[in-house]
Amino acid sequence: MIAQQIINAVSLGGVYALLALGLAIVFSIVGLINFAHGELMTLSGYALLASLVLGFPFPVAVLVAVSCGALAAVAMERIAFRPMRGASVTSLLLTSFAVSSLLKVVFQNGISARPQAVAMAGWMTGAFSFGDFTIGVGPSISIVVSALALIALEVFLRRSVTGTAMRAAAEDFDVVRLMGIPASRIIATAFLLSGLLAGLAAMLWVAQRASVDPLMGFTPVLKAFIAAVVGGLGSLPGAVAGGFLLGIIEVLLQATLPGAIAPYRDAIVLSGVIAVLLVRPQGLIPAVRAQRS
Amino acid sequence: MPSLYRLHRAALCAAVFGIAAISTASAEEIIIGAATAQTGGLAPYDQPALAGLRMSLDELNAKGGLGGKYTVKLLIKDTRSDTAQTATVAQELIDAGAKIMITPCDADPSISAGQLTQPLGIPTLTLCGSAPVLTGAVGDVMFGTYPADNVQATAVADFAVSEGKKKVFLLTSPDSTYTANLPEYFGKVFEKKGGAIVGRGTFSMGQPDFSAEITNIKGLADKPDLIMTAAYEPDFPAFMQQLRGAGVTIPVYGADAIGTPTIKALGKLVDGVVYTSAGYAEPGSKLEAFNAAFTKYAGHAPESTYEVNGYEIGLILDQAVKTAGSDDPKAIRDAIAGLKDFDGITGKITYAGTDRMPLRPVALMRYEGGEGKHVQTLIPDAADVPAP
Repeated sequence: MIAQQIINAVSLGGVYALLALGLAIVFSIVGLINFAHGELMTLSGYALLASLVLGFPFPVAVLVAVSCGALAAVAMERIAFRPMRGASVTSLLLTSFAVSSLLKVVFQNGISARPQAVAMAGWMTGAFSFGDFTIGVGPSISIVVSALALIALEVFLRRSVTGTAMRAAAEDFDVVRLMGIPASRIIATAFLLSGLLAGLAAMLWVAQRASVDPLMGFTPVLKAFIAAVVGGLGSLPGAVAGGFLLGIIEVLLQATLPGAIAPYRDAIVLSGVIAVLLVRPQGLIPAVRAQRS
Repeated sequence: MPSLYRLHRAALCAAVFGIAAISTASAEEIIIGAATAQTGGLAPYDQPALAGLRMSLDELNAKGGLGGKYTVKLLIKDTRSDTAQTATVAQELIDAGAKIMITPCDADPSISAGQLTQPLGIPTLTLCGSAPVLTGAVGDVMFGTYPADNVQATAVADFAVSEGKKKVFLLTSPDSTYTANLPEYFGKVFEKKGGAIVGRGTFSMGQPDFSAEITNIKGLADKPDLIMTAAYEPDFPAFMQQLRGAGVTIPVYGADAIGTPTIKALGKLVDGVVYTSAGYAEPGSKLEAFNAAFTKYAGHAPESTYEVNGYEIGLILDQAVKTAGSDDPKAIRDAIAGLKDFDGITGKITYAGTDRMPLRPVALMRYEGGEGKHVQTLIPDAADVPAP
């Protein structure tokens, strides 16, 4: 049973890590916490549903859905955030809230306020047994996809020119621009990556929840925000660490708390976050920033 | 253009006289305020119910209004599924002259609106809020309309016992009265009739992950043969997906909130799930006729029995105004409270002798192959129904 709970924790932590990474990539470059990140997930979810309804095979539908998330992120940057470039952190934050609310209302009025069922293929709800404990196919896929996405992102950031430029931009954007790298390209790539991650996370999320609804982005973006803050805002390894930590704590508490205290789970998790920040105010793995006087 | 001017004057005269002529028949208007969710989590429940209510009020207005006498003006305001916002819009509706108040499909916002209507004596009906504590929490103006949670839970428990189920796991959420209490009512009846509660678990509404809870269920020493929950969408699909995904095949029973197109569309995932409904459209029944009429009215078939429940609210109000013989809110309230064996669409509805939660039949349904199949319709024995 303990082994089972560890798998549960890693599976949930992986999804949180993907989400937190999406937030962190954008934050590291533009200094914006994009609260409309959750709506990118919702959009990917609806794109998956639409593709399945149109009769696309499952892998194609997933591909379409993830691409939709990525393109929507780029479009979001182009339409909402680019005109605000250079604005204060508060203005950017409010813009992201505005985009988030607007999209929620569009989903609600344009599609339906009612959650739409996404019937997953039968094998997704299967499970395979090892000795006396069983692993669900869903959580296994979740763990594998999160791991692959994290590795692919790491390779991209380490090995490609754009990736290197992005890492440099996170440390000192002005110097990167002086080196002749176009700012718009870096920012657009950051949003593209965050959209890709949101799309992937949405697939895992929907696979576990079997429905999409207009408000489904709210909880994940909140969890991602907490994970990113605990990990160290703007730090990519921090976001991953924060995501896994949050997933593990949540599953651990859910598994062990006695019934009477269980409803206070979220309060206990958030108290833990405060405790971490008191000891390490910059987060678990603080972001590296160039210091200029 | 004098000719046109004269024409106008003639039209004006006709209008004035026309109104005068009508006024002898029905000059009076009664305002019904509907504080309901058009957005947010309750919207999928409030909107179908409201559509049913509108249909009945449109039909009644065509026949002269409530009691054949009072033309209904329905004012609708959005509560955004927020309890505080419900109180705000309820106050606005009261200020606009509402003599009857309609509140959302949930106890908490209905209570917040009831706090305002109770001192003024305005009869207040929840669209499909089914928590039996709801009417007691407000006072004598508050009426439920849907079969109450404890009645539904008793019906499901009776059925489970009749199937030979012995051991149940209760999954609750403290986040709403409905999700917190309904499974516990089930547990009380189930234990009284010889069953045992072998475990309890909780979830937060909107919780992403049920895996820890499910692992706990799998690890129970005393294996349950039934899981009872009042979780609804989007939590219910998530729970089912993860439960079946973890290889657990224990049957899951719920209540009315999972009788929706969303849950039905889950197909195989919810095979065997038992739920409740306010009625079942047997061939030749009044409900079947209603469903056809509603489809014509709204352009789509009813999604659930919330539509017919909303429609019946209109009929109840019509009967109450007829009995009261006036549009005085207090007289209407008394008339609703005195209703006995009122012929609704789904069956007989009685308020007399109750705590303003109606006595009415409960239909038990079971999902099979993506369809809701009727199991049986019953009115549970009042002696079995646990106290709120």
